[in-house]
Amino acid sequence: MSDMSDDARGPALVRDDALTNELRAIVAPPADPSYWDGLERRIMARIARGQEGARWWALPERVYQIGLMAAGLILILAGSVYLRARAVETRMAYESVIETPGDDQPVFARRGPLDERRATLRAATGH
Amino acid sequence: MIAAQRGESEAFSELVRRHQRRAYVVARSIVVNHEDAEDAVQEAFLHAYKAIARFLPDQAFGAWLHRIVANAALDVTRRRKVRDADELPETVASPFRDPAESSELRTRLKEALDTLPARQRSVIVLHDVEGFKHSEIGKLLEIPEGTARSDLHYARSHLRRVLGELRSGL
Repeated sequence: MSDMSDDARGPALVRDDALTNELRAIVAPPADPSYWDGLERRIMARIARGQEGARWWALPERVYQIGLMAAGLILILAGSVYLRARAVETRMAYESVIETPGDDQPVFARRGPLDERRATLRAATGH
Repeated sequence: MIAAQRGESEAFSELVRRHQRRAYVVARSIVVNHEDAEDAVQEAFLHAYKAIARFLPDQAFGAWLHRIVANAALDVTRRRKVRDADELPETVASPFRDPAESSELRTRLKEALDTLPARQRSVIVLHDVEGFKHSEIGKLLEIPEGTARSDLHYARSHLRRVLGELRSGL
């Protein structure tokens, strides 16, 4: 089993067969074939359990994706409804301001702000 | 291999059948007992199954698997250290009877093997018991080939001395 040529490349690597035999006995894998059949079954059972776990997660993931898409669609719809409502509101507010007043309504003239000189003059003359 | 990569469990089961014994020895070279070796082998095959789609056909499956086994065994060793630090020592009943228990000399030699630095223990088991070459051990344990050689030298010297003392004492 051990490669002697591999050993031969090292000057200090002296092989000890007695020690190797003892080591083999210490770490020897189980010799009973039924042990290996059992281990194989346990490994495949763990793999199968892992697959079931993966399937269990896969369904909610699909549901999650559909839910995410639906939520996105709802968000877009809600956004567009909100924007349209705001546009109507703005238009109505604008129209109410620029609407021509009737005879019974007072008319206000719009004046720009006074400059500093005119403001001082007004304060001095009282007009 | 292609069938296993397609997810056919019977094909993967065949890979398990072919490689589990050597995988066990690789794990056993890193961990200190049979239960941990078995645990590492199971973890490694589970990981290999999940990663098999990434396995390239021009690679050697054994070498690829052994690398996974070595990593799994190192993980088990780390977990074991944490567990042992947290818990009081207790005897775990095992259905498998360790061959080392068959004689006092082997028991004592096993103790000496377990007290070796982990890397030296791995190197001597992989080389002397399983016949791995230094280059293979280097790749497996991610160490230079020269380090594997010197580890083997120190491990052998130490165990030979212990064995000599045990023989003269018995």
